[in-house]
Amino acid sequence: MSQTSTRTGSIEQILDRIIGLSVDTYYNPYKTFQWPDELPEAQWWMSPGLMTVAGTPYAEELSEAQLMALSKWESIHFYSLNVHGIRDLVLEVVKRIHTPGFEKESEFFHHFVGEENEHMWFFATFCLKYGGKIYVDKKASWAIDSVEPDIESLLVFARILIFEEIVDYFNMRIGGDETLHPIIRQVNNIHHQDESRHIAFGRELVKQLFSQLAQKYSQEKLQAVDQYLRRYLLASVQSLYSPAAYRDADVPNPYKFRTELLEHPGRREHNAKILKRTVDFFTHNGIVSEQADLR
Amino acid sequence: MTGDPRLASVKDWLLSRKPELADLDLDFDLIENRVIDSLSFLEFVFFLEELTGRELQATAETVNAFRSLHNIQKEILNGSL
Repeated sequence: MSQTSTRTGSIEQILDRIIGLSVDTYYNPYKTFQWPDELPEAQWWMSPGLMTVAGTPYAEELSEAQLMALSKWESIHFYSLNVHGIRDLVLEVVKRIHTPGFEKESEFFHHFVGEENEHMWFFATFCLKYGGKIYVDKKASWAIDSVEPDIESLLVFARILIFEEIVDYFNMRIGGDETLHPIIRQVNNIHHQDESRHIAFGRELVKQLFSQLAQKYSQEKLQAVDQYLRRYLLASVQSLYSPAAYRDADVPNPYKFRTELLEHPGRREHNAKILKRTVDFFTHNGIVSEQADLR
Repeated sequence: MTGDPRLASVKDWLLSRKPELADLDLDFDLIENRVIDSLSFLEFVFFLEELTGRELQATAETVNAFRSLHNIQKEILNGSL
């Protein structure tokens, strides 16, 4: 049976709407940004409340100059995560475009891949221009599991959705923070505008892919999906804490620093807040069975 | 198991995440047997970086260095990965 054959009309309505928006709001990213030659070091590169020290004593103990340096390197790390995350998701979508099961989505996939390629370009440009590098991706790059193709498709689109929703949490807040440099706000605002469409589509696709799996597979298989996604949510939020960024900001003992932050109750609250909207979506739709344990 | 305390630390780290395993042989395939998987790999890399005091080149080409305790000892603890 085709993966799309049992889907309701709602995904078609969403596809019509977001393809129209993609066409109507298309912009040329290579002309949109007026990149300053350099950005001042002594400034907030991201909102202080979004940094990984927020909610811990380090937010008070470090000097403003140290915190500003950390905000720079955490920003470069965040945009580097975007570059790597987008490359991974584009590869997965390209694997599925115009293949059986994705007939209806393929038209949108063309827009998605094009837009994501452009996002990857402006995030990479920001990193290289203002940080002089893109942080290396150390995530495992081998295939995770040999699971059934339809389960793999659900996991792929669930991972894409989780990644996009976490990034959007930051984009919305950075884009709306008028104390930040205009180019920082612009990059985040433009990404947020495009991602709103991708997230709307991703939520509908994940719901429908899961409803097909729920009719077909045993509870044991579905529990394995549930467990994997809960672990993925946790791993995703932990990936925001970068020893390399701490080292570049001259934080002593960056690994110990990272461990202390991850164990701090204030950070658990922040992590839960970052993931709340996403966890609510997965639990509300019965894909993840309980609130993810973020400890 | 050799007497290298760093290797013992690696083994302890892995066993603490897989309580169903009583022990790990030096040549036990950690990836094939899912002692390390894609979701725990980054934390494992950070643990090894802290242990060795240097950044590791964790890429698809170097994945075999992480495949067994024997390889970790040779390529990471005593090597230059």
